[in-house]
Amino acid sequence: MLITGIRSKPVYAPLQVDLQGRYHLMVGHGVGATPLLRLLSDFRTTQPDALTRTRVWYVADAQVSQGSADALRATNIAELRSFTGVDVLLADLTAALDQALMGTRLYVSGPESFMGLVMRIAQQFNLAPDEVRAEECGTMARRVHCIHCRATIENVRTNIVECSCGRWIVVRDHYSRRLAAYMGVMVDAEAPGERPEIKEVFL
Amino acid sequence: MSQSHADTIPVRVVAVEEVTPQIKHFTLQSLAGELPAFSGGSHIIVVMRGAQRVYRNPYSLMSSPNELENYQISVLRVDPSRGGSAFMHEQVRVGTELEIAHPVNLFGLAKLARKHLLLAGGIGITPFLAQLHDLRMSEVPYELHYATRSPQHGAYCQLISRLEPQRSRLYHDSNRHFIDIDGLLSQQPLGTHVYVCGPAGMITRVLDSARTLGWPDSHVHYERFAAPPTGAAFDVRLQKSGIDLHVLPDQSLLEAIEAAGVDAPYLCRGGVCGFCRAEVLSVDGELVHNDHFLSNDEKASGKSIMPCVSRARCSTLVLNL
Repeated sequence: MLITGIRSKPVYAPLQVDLQGRYHLMVGHGVGATPLLRLLSDFRTTQPDALTRTRVWYVADAQVSQGSADALRATNIAELRSFTGVDVLLADLTAALDQALMGTRLYVSGPESFMGLVMRIAQQFNLAPDEVRAEECGTMARRVHCIHCRATIENVRTNIVECSCGRWIVVRDHYSRRLAAYMGVMVDAEAPGERPEIKEVFL
Repeated sequence: MSQSHADTIPVRVVAVEEVTPQIKHFTLQSLAGELPAFSGGSHIIVVMRGAQRVYRNPYSLMSSPNELENYQISVLRVDPSRGGSAFMHEQVRVGTELEIAHPVNLFGLAKLARKHLLLAGGIGITPFLAQLHDLRMSEVPYELHYATRSPQHGAYCQLISRLEPQRSRLYHDSNRHFIDIDGLLSQQPLGTHVYVCGPAGMITRVLDSARTLGWPDSHVHYERFAAPPTGAAFDVRLQKSGIDLHVLPDQSLLEAIEAAGVDAPYLCRGGVCGFCRAEVLSVDGELVHNDHFLSNDEKASGKSIMPCVSRARCSTLVLNL
């Protein structure tokens, strides 16, 4: 059981370089390093001087191969930063966007929940769709907002999950950009205890 | 939709002020109840019934959107005038009755902007005067850069200096003091929206600079109020209405269609909104596209024309109207 067919679910497209941009800030998480390497390689062939105006920030996790990390370090860009966690990167991203100038392009790649958190910050800075590009890669595990107690549950892989408030909630495709989370609603409100089978669906 | 302009509001001119030798400021009061609410950046179309022709010219509302007792507009006398601005300067006085179309805003402030950068050239200050009323009430930072030919030509320099001593800067060509467009656009914080209203050259420079500096189109706003370009006369057949008409050299295609009694749609009369778009069925010559709405591909395809500013170099143009 999963409530689907709701059009608020964000759709992301493969990353491409934006040659109109003046400054480029790329943020990635985990396997998101791979699309960023592809972008840097595209710049090298189309507009090499853009690399001197490019910053890459990424959160290294177990999924980032040593090869990707080495490859990132080998590129000649203005700045490369490796973060130990998403929260630190997001805090620094907010500070960086506050200082950034018009002409900046933001590129995002990583698991879906990371994308949502970055996109929410981009929205706070009134970045237009043509200033942000995002490519999804890695786990599809969702951030879920319990509409009853308003807690956020991270890394949900199943169609139904137990919230910290004790309710069992079903994950909908209804996505909130403001909360950067999918909506979860109580699954057995009408018939307490009657719950469909729990399955791993967001892999 | 074509009701929007057929439905005009009768107004009376209650004050006329000569702001500079070329600019007159008119205060209009409704003869039919309260005037409609509007937002800063809106324009109205003033319908002027001249002896030979009817003129419909767009003018920005410059009064406060919070005060609907009257509307205020400023009219620059264009030389040579196609008729509209000369009519306003010579024929209109206190007591004159005119008709206006409802306000339309094609130059509104972006509600989510983190900063507004306003660039005005000459008479292009007028939409900003109304927007400043809204901006002063908001928390969002803004700055106004206002360029005029000389202090004497700057119709509203004193008003701006008084209203916005901190957030405005004045420039006069006569002092060789120009807006440093590249310098300004290269130093704006992320989330800024830029707005430009002024002479065509100024608008082009701002658009070019913004594009070079990586501004996305969604953050760049401009408003042109150029008179429809003139050209050779040509004939037009309106296929659906079964009407044949003639477009004079200094008349726009839209004006000729209206003069033939056809209630054609329009909003901006400046080639930007796309509302008057007409389908071209055939032309025995070439279309002269003067609008900023159709894409280059659409212009090349020759299937559409914007009658408010565009015309044809031909003997007969057939439209699906």
